[in-house]
Amino acid sequence: MMKTQDTVLIALFAALIVVLSLVPPIPLPAIPVPVTLQSLGVMLTGAMLGPTRGLFACLLYLLLAAIGLPVLPGGRGGLGVFFGPTGGFLLGMALGAFMTGWLARRWVSVSGSNLRTVLAYGVACIVGGIGAVYLIGVPWLASVTQMGLGKAALAVLVFIPGDLVKVAIASWVAWRVERVWPILRESP
Amino acid sequence: MIEPLYIPGDRWLHRLPAGYKLAALVIAGVGLFLVQNVWGLLAAFIVAGALVWSTGVGAAACWRQIRGLVWVLVAIGVFAVVFQGWLSAAIVLLRIAALVGLALAVTLSTRSSDLIAVCERALMPFERLGWVNAGKVALALALTLRFVPEIWRHYQEIREAQAARGLARHPVALLVPLVVRTLKRAQQVAQAIDARGE
Repeated sequence: MMKTQDTVLIALFAALIVVLSLVPPIPLPAIPVPVTLQSLGVMLTGAMLGPTRGLFACLLYLLLAAIGLPVLPGGRGGLGVFFGPTGGFLLGMALGAFMTGWLARRWVSVSGSNLRTVLAYGVACIVGGIGAVYLIGVPWLASVTQMGLGKAALAVLVFIPGDLVKVAIASWVAWRVERVWPILRESP
Repeated sequence: MIEPLYIPGDRWLHRLPAGYKLAALVIAGVGLFLVQNVWGLLAAFIVAGALVWSTGVGAAACWRQIRGLVWVLVAIGVFAVVFQGWLSAAIVLLRIAALVGLALAVTLSTRSSDLIAVCERALMPFERLGWVNAGKVALALALTLRFVPEIWRHYQEIREAQAARGLARHPVALLVPLVVRTLKRAQQVAQAIDARGE
């Protein structure tokens, strides 16, 4: 059962994803162009809140965009983005947050060593935050542009290095915060 | 801080009920994928453009919405011309432009509150089944809108404090305090709501 605490956490993490989407792009190590922190916010939400609350926080963020609020990077929003070639990556975020949260809850152990904990977060973020997002995003891109699945997958490969840096940051932050403020294992 | 993209107006597109507009958009979304004729898609694109124009949107606001898409479209266009020829490239680009244009027209001509009302009606069957609590969804939505400006202010305070100590923009140094502040605030808000007994 959802408690008030859970509803509030879902709402505030949705707001956090909005803020991370709107902050000016940040230069990351080893990446030539500055990147927005939107997908990092999605990974972090899943890794910190767990599957159900992470999914709802992400859906709430997408709802804000769908009803025409400029909450996507660059101040974009509205239904047009969902119907465009990259709409699948947006919907994939909801699945991504869920998967990240589900795996983090299974693999991250409270008593394990620090390195093991960060690695568990990292693998959860890779499978959820990259794998699940691309699982929906790439076929969507391929069908909208009719470029074929293989070529679509090849076209988005350039984003993988940036995503991996975000995975590293999200895992590190989730581990640091969970140590002082554990919420991953609360219900639901 | 987050102003809706909706443009106040009283044209016929504004007056059309939000539910009809969304239903028409979904039908158009499926229908456009069935059209393979370049002239049919060109017609759809012109209709979509006319609808966007009829909402009375300014050129600058319109450009801000499609700016991000233009580069994606250029990349897709070059790709399609090289691998599939001019005709397929035109078909793919016109279809995407028509779809995005139609969706943009709905966004520009429909109040956020009307779209929320459509969502509520769509969720009604699930609420009867006990899967969704409409009150909690409304509470979450209101809280998110209320706290975006506050979390944004936290971000700026943390940035200024770090800049004052000569630190460059670093994601980890930014995120840990920002997330902890968000959690702290969530706890306070939850206690306040529970104390009011709602």
